[in-house]
Amino acid sequence: MTLENQTSAVKKKEKHDEAIVHSHYACTVGAAYSVAAIKGAVPIANCGPGCMYKQFFFLSFDNGFQGTAGVSGGNIPSANVGENDIVFGGSKKLDDLIKASIGVVKGDLFVVLTGCSGELVGDDVGSVVRKYQQNGYPVVYADTGGFKGSNLDGHELVVNAIIDQFVGSYNGPKEAGLVNLWLETPYFNQNWRGDYLEMVRILRASGFKVNVLFGPESGGVSEWKNIPKADFNLLISAWNGLKIVKHLEKKYKQRYLHVPILPIGEEATTAFIRQVVEFAGIDKTKSEKFIREESKIYYYFLEHFSNFFSEYWYGLPAKFATVTNSTDNLALTKFLSDQIGLIPVKQIITDNPPDDVRDKLRTIYSNLGEDISLDVEFHEDGYKVEDSLKKTDFGNGVPLILASSWESDVARELKALLIEVGTPSTETLIINRSFIGYRGALSLIERIYSQAVGGK
Amino acid sequence: MAKKINLEMSAVENREMRLGTIIGWDGPASTLVKESNYIERSQRFEGIKTSGCAGGCGSKKACKLCELNSPLNQQTMCANAIVECQIGNITDCILIQHAPIGCSGDNPWFNLAFNMGLSRRNKPPQALKIYSTNLLESDMVFGASDKLRRTCRTVFEREHPKAIFISMACATAIIGEDIDSIADEMENELGIPVVPLHCEGFRSKHWSTGFDVSQHGVVRQIVNKNPVKQKDLINIVALWGTDYFTPLLKPLGLRVNYMIDMASFDELRQASEAVATATFCNTLGSYMATALEQEYGVPQIDAPQPYGFKGTDEWLRAVAHVVGKDDIIEDYIKSEHERVLPKVNELREKFKGVKGFVMTGSAYAHGLITVLRELGIDVDGSIVFHHDPIYDGAGVHQNTLEELVNTYGDIKNYTVSKTEAYQLSNIFNRIEKPDFVIIRHQGLAPEAAKLGIPALAMGDEHIPVGYDGLIRTGEIILDIMARKKFNRVLSRHIELPYTDWWLSQSDPFLLSHDPKALDKVVPLENSVDYEDELDEAV
Repeated sequence: MTLENQTSAVKKKEKHDEAIVHSHYACTVGAAYSVAAIKGAVPIANCGPGCMYKQFFFLSFDNGFQGTAGVSGGNIPSANVGENDIVFGGSKKLDDLIKASIGVVKGDLFVVLTGCSGELVGDDVGSVVRKYQQNGYPVVYADTGGFKGSNLDGHELVVNAIIDQFVGSYNGPKEAGLVNLWLETPYFNQNWRGDYLEMVRILRASGFKVNVLFGPESGGVSEWKNIPKADFNLLISAWNGLKIVKHLEKKYKQRYLHVPILPIGEEATTAFIRQVVEFAGIDKTKSEKFIREESKIYYYFLEHFSNFFSEYWYGLPAKFATVTNSTDNLALTKFLSDQIGLIPVKQIITDNPPDDVRDKLRTIYSNLGEDISLDVEFHEDGYKVEDSLKKTDFGNGVPLILASSWESDVARELKALLIEVGTPSTETLIINRSFIGYRGALSLIERIYSQAVGGK
Repeated sequence: MAKKINLEMSAVENREMRLGTIIGWDGPASTLVKESNYIERSQRFEGIKTSGCAGGCGSKKACKLCELNSPLNQQTMCANAIVECQIGNITDCILIQHAPIGCSGDNPWFNLAFNMGLSRRNKPPQALKIYSTNLLESDMVFGASDKLRRTCRTVFEREHPKAIFISMACATAIIGEDIDSIADEMENELGIPVVPLHCEGFRSKHWSTGFDVSQHGVVRQIVNKNPVKQKDLINIVALWGTDYFTPLLKPLGLRVNYMIDMASFDELRQASEAVATATFCNTLGSYMATALEQEYGVPQIDAPQPYGFKGTDEWLRAVAHVVGKDDIIEDYIKSEHERVLPKVNELREKFKGVKGFVMTGSAYAHGLITVLRELGIDVDGSIVFHHDPIYDGAGVHQNTLEELVNTYGDIKNYTVSKTEAYQLSNIFNRIEKPDFVIIRHQGLAPEAAKLGIPALAMGDEHIPVGYDGLIRTGEIILDIMARKKFNRVLSRHIELPYTDWWLSQSDPFLLSHDPKALDKVVPLENSVDYEDELDEAV
């Protein structure tokens, strides 16, 4: 046994795919797009020339053509590390790049992300960045070499670096009813912008003040400065972000509530609101009033939908598969099986969750709802995903596959309805779209059944 | 004659070394033509001693062009990405990226291009399949050669490819992975060509070296070494463009063999059997054409690129000459002029007073500007992502920039700059804002959009080619100019992401011309003297 195998045997009990075709995640330095999701923050890539280009396509352009705001839309300042920098070191080039970026690009926070080259060569990025910090410029850095893992790992690394180097220490009081919202992984979860709107709407209407850290309603870096004042952190994500809320717990003695299943539909959303209100210990009057109002609206629409659903003569899909990241996979599987009555026949998680959370995810799937106990598969290699789908028994009807563009070959073969719900998605345009909460659930139903009746 | 291309080595000599490619320059195009010194360079290519380079930068660095270096760069493509979009788009071969997973991030983008291209060439859809060895931190420490071997075997068993290509990444190059030996070993074991591609991103300052790397691998290990001439076959080195070359070349009785995108192994293999090689863009095609000429005697077309009336005329004449059809070509050219001229004249009428601006790779930009000027559109400035003072072919009639300037006049503000969007506001501060831009590559169009300028994203490269290219391009530009409504809405409501200080400048290369300018804007105490550190390191 080689040394390499020994190390991995000790660390890993879960089986990981070695060679990968059709990857469903990007690499650590893709966290540049977590920075891009913060208003006023500018990523600076201490990377090779193609790194940001590649991450941009995977996380934004080829993920529902999301686009971005500011320079992050394909114009991230980048060291474009060359041969000389590898041989002689890249510190001077990085220093010049940071200075020029501050001078030319509008920004309230600059985040230097070092990729494979800088990390392997061993540039002392910290000392370059500290010079700017000491001069009062808001610059932080994170070591995000692509070999460290996925963009989800990078997301946690970078957010924690911003917390440590920019938000800083805090010993003041906590504000009751103020919550830090950590929802999904920006850009990676393709509906994140719309989901943030819906979740912030729900929380505010339920009586919370919300530190909105990412997305359209965020106040930008000033909200980040308020992180330590919050009463608690609310993480709504299968697993990504756990390292952030645990870090905050340690750093600011801040408690957290982890909700692994994004709520979709009235019953789940109502239960979610009650859970958060209970945890926070705030007054229930406001939230209960909101629940009553939203429920009425929801079922007004659902009744209309039920007409179509009950008496559409020409057949609708019954069995479905989900191939996507843990968070979307869990949420979609739960809603479609528990609330719509579709039959889950294959659930494949593609975002390579850490070994220690895989068993927890298995447990959740095995108790997903009344009479719903599922096996879940973990694949990083698209070949295995496609192979597994081919072997799935979808029965007589049209298979419904909620997946990515990579599954289009197998969907064609199975004559399935393919609905893109994860990256890459190159046949879907996403601007303000949400499938969560009260309102998003209705959009999800529209999306699936428009396609089921022959539209797109 | 000296060999222009060294196929003995598995690695390509970079464009900047081989051709003197630069990525930063600003001035009138006519000046760049002079400084590029095409004739003396081509003599050197042929092994002829020359007295020196009149336009060289500084006396010691003979023939080296002056280049502007900027401290601020924005993200760009890299050679590794180019290899994905070339080799990764072969229908029955497999590319393995020996790299961490992030290097595969643009696979979906090239999947889109691939499938678009397949449908344009009437081939069935298929998902692009590029494998990654998915390297992790432990691989950086212990090496990953066994992983690569296992991946080759997995790919062979699963996909039954006609050939396997292995691409190098920054990380694998730094840790010293020996892909040449592994490729040799796997070729023996699997019995199919296994081709190493040295395209790590840090290797070259310009991504177009990736074209050369891809073509180098194909010529070295895929093309038929014992060719049987096919007298009606012409190679066209292309990307994903619609098959407009077939109708263009039909009167000459030629079949088109497109390379490399969407080609099959067999189509690539027969490249050495063709009667000639041509391309829609010398930046892309010159290396392949020269290598095939040098190794297999397949002549390359020494003519202006096929854009506009004059360029297309001369290109067709050169092709006709190679295939011995000089006798019929003049009638064909005449009838084509008569066919398209009325429509072109209509378009010229509509474009009176319209200004255009091109932002693409260099030789292609020369073709696009030709088309715009044929249509009567003013082009006061343009951006090319790099400048090659010469191409590998070094043909008398292949000096595309000179051809453009001599035929259609100078371009006052000709900027060489590698997708640096922050320079756009300054560039449009000093000239009258164009009515539209034509772009390739990402990053520039969204920035122009916020300045109120709509962009034609020229995703189908062959649109402007040939006589009909004038009409196709003109009609699309009319559609695009209508979008100005949208762009004006944007420019009224969306802020540019740059500081007021920067937006008020009119020199896009201020940071290169005046490096101290930043000191006032970003004052710092305790600056580090890297010169000392560098001296110590050396």
